[in-house]
Amino acid sequence: MSAVIPRHRVNVLTGIKSAKLIEDPVEYANLIKKAKRPLLVVGPLLLASTPDGKILMEYALNIAKACNIPICATAQTKGKIVELGVQPDCVYDVVEIVNALKDPDWKGVKKEGNHDLVMFFGIRSDLGNQGLSTLKHFAPHLKTMTLCKHYFPHASYSVPNFKKDEKWLEFLEGLIANLRKGD
Amino acid sequence: MAQVKEITRKLEEIHKKIKAEIPWEPVGPTPMPEIPDLRQWDMRLLKTYAPFYAPFCDLCCFCTYGKCDLTEGRRGACGIDIATQQARFVLLACLMGCSAHAAHGGHILEFLIERHGPDKKIDLGTFIEVEAPNIRTVVGMKPETLGDLVIALDYVFKEIGHLLDSCHTGQEGSALDYESKALHASMLDHVGMEVADIAQIVGFGYPTSVADTPLVELGWGAIDKTKPVILVSGHNPATSTVLIDYLREHNLEDQVEVCGLCCTALETTRYSDKAKIVGPLSRALFFMRTGVADVIMTDEQCIRTDTPQEAAKVGSAMIACLDKAMYGLEDATETDTDEIVRRMVDNKEQFAILDPAKAAEVAVRVAMKIAPERKKGWLTEEEAIELAKKCTNCRMCEQVCPNLFNIGGGITEVAKGNFDLIRQQFLQCIGCGKCEQECPNNVPIFKIMQTAAGTETWKCRAGRGPVMDTEIRNVGAPITLGTIPGVIAIVGCSNYPDIGDIADMVEEFAKRRYIVVLTGCAAMAAGMKKDKDGLTVYEKYSPNFDAGGVVNIGSCVANAHISGAALKIANIFAALPLRGNYEVMADYVLNRVGACGVAWGAYSQKAASIGTGFNRLGVPVVLGPHSSKYRRLYLSRKEEDDWKVMDARKREIVDTVEPAPEHLAYVCETKEKAMPMIAKLCIRRNDTPQGRAIKLNHYVSLYKKYISPGLPEDLHLFVRRDADIPLVYKKEVREYLQKIGWKPREPIGLPTLIGTYPTKVPIDAVIH
Repeated sequence: MSAVIPRHRVNVLTGIKSAKLIEDPVEYANLIKKAKRPLLVVGPLLLASTPDGKILMEYALNIAKACNIPICATAQTKGKIVELGVQPDCVYDVVEIVNALKDPDWKGVKKEGNHDLVMFFGIRSDLGNQGLSTLKHFAPHLKTMTLCKHYFPHASYSVPNFKKDEKWLEFLEGLIANLRKGD
Repeated sequence: MAQVKEITRKLEEIHKKIKAEIPWEPVGPTPMPEIPDLRQWDMRLLKTYAPFYAPFCDLCCFCTYGKCDLTEGRRGACGIDIATQQARFVLLACLMGCSAHAAHGGHILEFLIERHGPDKKIDLGTFIEVEAPNIRTVVGMKPETLGDLVIALDYVFKEIGHLLDSCHTGQEGSALDYESKALHASMLDHVGMEVADIAQIVGFGYPTSVADTPLVELGWGAIDKTKPVILVSGHNPATSTVLIDYLREHNLEDQVEVCGLCCTALETTRYSDKAKIVGPLSRALFFMRTGVADVIMTDEQCIRTDTPQEAAKVGSAMIACLDKAMYGLEDATETDTDEIVRRMVDNKEQFAILDPAKAAEVAVRVAMKIAPERKKGWLTEEEAIELAKKCTNCRMCEQVCPNLFNIGGGITEVAKGNFDLIRQQFLQCIGCGKCEQECPNNVPIFKIMQTAAGTETWKCRAGRGPVMDTEIRNVGAPITLGTIPGVIAIVGCSNYPDIGDIADMVEEFAKRRYIVVLTGCAAMAAGMKKDKDGLTVYEKYSPNFDAGGVVNIGSCVANAHISGAALKIANIFAALPLRGNYEVMADYVLNRVGACGVAWGAYSQKAASIGTGFNRLGVPVVLGPHSSKYRRLYLSRKEEDDWKVMDARKREIVDTVEPAPEHLAYVCETKEKAMPMIAKLCIRRNDTPQGRAIKLNHYVSLYKKYISPGLPEDLHLFVRRDADIPLVYKKEVREYLQKIGWKPREPIGLPTLIGTYPTKVPIDAVIH
């Protein structure tokens, strides 16, 4: 059991099965590349901008583009994604996509079968962690991963709590670069 | 044979209790239902709206076998699995909520029966004949006196006992059965709430059969600090009404300021329009820490467990007035009044006083004595800047904030003389105080936030109690046909992502001619925002239960009047008998009454039971993001779930395909997502083409406004025929439907779930 304390105490784990903490973007990229049917679930926190004016959503779209990963747009994110020139593969709110994912027989976003790796990115951390808890307990057929700047104990894989945003953005840039490298 | 005899004996007993011989309506199949009696209805609901669990914890720690790890399919030592454990938690939460309201009702009833006698007639005014739709439907009784309400409550308490029993370790092994029990407990909650509010209206003479109740002052800026100030806090108005009586009897009403927090504030302003509303629960700690209150009187429920400590910190006197929260204080109910006053003034002692008349006298006398000696100044901006300089923006506060924001960022801006961020953060603050507790530099965050709060005042319409029968007659047809697009019930507590969301939601739906009803903290929050002309939603919109109306029904317990309004539509408009006829009524509401609850800031167990009670009645509820911590939602799978109904006219089962309503308990992350979802959840199978077109017009336009310029991805599921397409989007929608190969569907004469699952209710019972 990891001793990592999540950034937000509301997410402190009361239990025994916590996320594997991964700090290396190469390792993260390899997990994503290894997945057969990954899915990227994006949330409204990605509508914010970085200090240099880049919209966080652009990181998500670059990750998706690098490995042709389908995107699920939650909350009001569809508008911005379309504005950035991408059509999301599906639009659900976070509880709806989690509800579908926990069904092993669900055909998935591309109707090719349920996903084996689900990445959460930009969902508020309490709601995101609750959704990941649902998947941890009721979707043993898939793994989960988070890309936000904090540790999410209910995920299968999580990044650490990044003290500085620059470090987190560096991690994301590194991840994108490694995904683009191919196998 | 013995079993038949037992059933007959039980039924006779029930018939005796509900005075079945009084033939106001035939007694339906389930008067005073017990746990199994509505189970089949629940199971039918849960088939489509399956429980969705988000465990807060991997373990069970209820008994000494544990802790038991329930991950990866493991069962606990008693055999329980993770889903069933979540459902057990949900039932316990609903039972706490139901008990809080029922016990509140029980206390008020006892108090009022002592004052007026058990034969005091229930009279809710000229325009209300169906005085107690929940009691009539669930209990099967038409209460005529305060004494009759005791019969309804006795039934509720008996059921609570059985339900609580089922939570004991090693019993119920099915999540679905726990859910059915939670639905049962929550239905009972609406009975308990109805008892409480009817008793209050009758016993205290609250407004009834009137829509245009007074506009009362809201906000702590409205409080005259130069006078002695008494703060009443909580939910049970026995204390505050007696306090007002005392002031009136002693000609002191203009000399002493009475203000309230949470639902007691709403109750007090129903009794006296001179009383002021401080605000919802999220403002409680802020206000207490200003020290403006000379005396704080707590009653029950949402009153904070640290009130004595907080009062002592700022030199406010404090009296605990109800046995629900005595805080370890000396019980001075039997102590001489002069002696209590002396000790409170001289020694600053705090007491529990369970006699409302004595508590009122003590509060007034103490307030008048200590007020002139106390300083009650607001912090100035200059003082705030100095205090804020201690903040190093270490962000420890952010880690414990339930709303996840960095208050330190706002405080460091204050230190620079910039108050913009802290003002914005104040709107997101739920007032728990954990940030200040965590601060390593002891920055008085709440004190600094006083400057962000300002002293702005607003208007809130006093709670009006039940919707009038006359109003139901006017709106019954347009609601069930869909031409009034929906009734939006914005209810519950103040655990909001942003308090301003509430007024925005009210405004959005009122201007679209929905009927917006409010209760509890949400009713106050709705008034805490002004438009460019300086008006609140209560000043802008009609107080009538009609299209475009904004109606403050009252406190938490007044939620029973919202479920009651839905029942009245079935009874008064559709002429369906409601006596002991819950299944038929709920089926009617689910299929015909386009109502949607919104509990955007739900935090409490009471909110859990209120919402779940609406769910059993077929009313969906949209919850704010914090409510994922309730652990359970009721969600459908849209295109994959069972949307079959019986067409009662043709007597055949039809697959409608349309998910209407799509979910029963649903969490949204943002206000922007909630807006179109609320509109969508008002869609019902019974909508006429004209009504459906109106509803879809709002769904599409809210989607375009808040989500994306395109069309909703699931629009095709709700278009049955071309006539359903809203005129303004005709071309765009037709093109979309053609592209996806949409086919029109046959209309359904009389949609009902009765006949699609095993039930004793005959299909004929739904035909009106």
